[in-house]
Amino acid sequence: MAAPVNVQTPSKTWELSLYELHRSPQEAIVDGTEVAVSPRSLHSELMCPICLDMLKNTMTTKECLHRFCSDCIVTALRSGNKECPTCRKKLVSRRSLRRDSNFDALISKIYPSRDEYEAHQRSVLERLNRLHNKEALSSSIEEGLRQQARYRNHRVKKPTQESDNTTFSGGEDNGDSRSHLSHDSAPSNTPHPSGQTPPEAGPSRKRQRGSDDGSGPEADSGSPTPPLRRNKERPASEIELVFRPHPQLVHAQDYNQTRYVKTTANATVDHLSKYLALRIALEDRRTEGEAEDRGREEEGGGQRGAEGGGETGETSRSGEGTTLGNISEKQYTIYITTRGGQFSTLNGSLTLELVNEKYWKVRKPLELYYAPTKDQQQPQAAQPLPPQLPAPPPPPQQKSPPQQEG
Amino acid sequence: MASQNMDPAATAASASAALKGSESGGSAARGSVSKRLQQELMTLMMSGDKGISAFPESDNLFKWVGTIDGAQGTVYEGLRYRLSLDFPAGYPYQAPRVKFVTPCFHPNVDDEGFICLDILRDKWSALLDVRSILLSIQSLLGEPNNESPLNTTAAELWNNQDACRCYCITTFRNVKG
Repeated sequence: MAAPVNVQTPSKTWELSLYELHRSPQEAIVDGTEVAVSPRSLHSELMCPICLDMLKNTMTTKECLHRFCSDCIVTALRSGNKECPTCRKKLVSRRSLRRDSNFDALISKIYPSRDEYEAHQRSVLERLNRLHNKEALSSSIEEGLRQQARYRNHRVKKPTQESDNTTFSGGEDNGDSRSHLSHDSAPSNTPHPSGQTPPEAGPSRKRQRGSDDGSGPEADSGSPTPPLRRNKERPASEIELVFRPHPQLVHAQDYNQTRYVKTTANATVDHLSKYLALRIALEDRRTEGEAEDRGREEEGGGQRGAEGGGETGETSRSGEGTTLGNISEKQYTIYITTRGGQFSTLNGSLTLELVNEKYWKVRKPLELYYAPTKDQQQPQAAQPLPPQLPAPPPPPQQKSPPQQEG
Repeated sequence: MASQNMDPAATAASASAALKGSESGGSAARGSVSKRLQQELMTLMMSGDKGISAFPESDNLFKWVGTIDGAQGTVYEGLRYRLSLDFPAGYPYQAPRVKFVTPCFHPNVDDEGFICLDILRDKWSALLDVRSILLSIQSLLGEPNNESPLNTTAAELWNNQDACRCYCITTFRNVKG
């Protein structure tokens, strides 16, 4: 049957497969038809399987038609078995390969600027590496979160203050007390400004933090006595603060949480600001994820979801991948109320201890306000605001007022 | 005739070229190796394979730690093994050095954790990567090559799967304890 079709030459016999015997050539596309190819499949077509990069000086194996970069396949043949790396077909030498200039031309047509492509590739890899670190971070946050949720469960039964004894973490009241358990206590493992190290700490550092925190729940569950009270007067090295959105600069529904934070006193305002930026970025991400499955059933939750959805339109969504990478202390400006009810911007380099001494003095948790730093909202913008509001009203969303206020 | 003359010459030429390549391309090669390792890491993370994982041990991209979950229906079911992967500067043209960190009772794994697997030796191909290595080892666990055992006890015991399971678990526990 197939015998007459087989091309018989004195030296070679070509065995054509059934498919090859019956296939008809694909018609050339001459009209304006566009064919969409996903970047991924395009990449796998143009990629050298050895260096996993785009083919460079393509060489094709003569018999099995597998493509490699010239350098890659030459090195492979030199250092390994004399076989095709892809299918193990024998490749006697370089002469089993042929230069595939058509393919090179195709690549340079698709990617006219190879340098540009490579730069892009590099940046993707870099971002991925960073993102991955953040992923490790958020997974460890999840871990800490669960731990703290358990811890909090213990404490909720006792009439104790919410934010007690949580090191730089905090509960924020977003009006939904149950949601504490699900996503409030996240920052227990968050990189935090208490140390001098910036928040981009590696997993190893977080592990340390984790074990730090681990002592908390143990102590709590182990002994029925409530955790350390504030009135025990902590050593000066720690500072507690209540952190609210700036009532005049922040829209009520934007960041409607009051955050309770405890940290070491030598942390600076910049540290705090960076922590905040990270927190908000993480929450945005989480809100996006949860918005769907949570629906609108819970009032607070629904509101958060809606807020997430609305907000993400402009900023958070587009920045989802990059937000965490761009966390900086410049994103939020920290304010404190002075005696006249004015909001005064805090200098980033001030330590919280100094702030406490300079502005606060009273034996209450330090109360600070935050607002996103914007171009039109220069840090000084706080002062010129009309002083009609002598004291900041409590955040609108708050259902349970912070007990610290008493 | 001609080919007989050709071959040694070609070998000599390629050998000298290889030498030259390894001398000159030291740092450049290292760069390309870490690039490839990064790419692998990316695909590993994206693929989300079940039962295997790998990640650089520390900042050093050339040393990874991998884990393999014993496949269901094998005596290794429910046991998670840690492995170390050590990439030579000649990677991916040379195979990484892979060994079990968790003691593993298996016909083709010795006391030190060294693995007898063709693709890690003479059957290595530059196309193989961390993912394919780990998957291969995972399937090796269930289907050992009893012809050339490193651990003869395990090879002899292999027919008695219950006893094998016991051994596996004791060996596995010994580390933890």
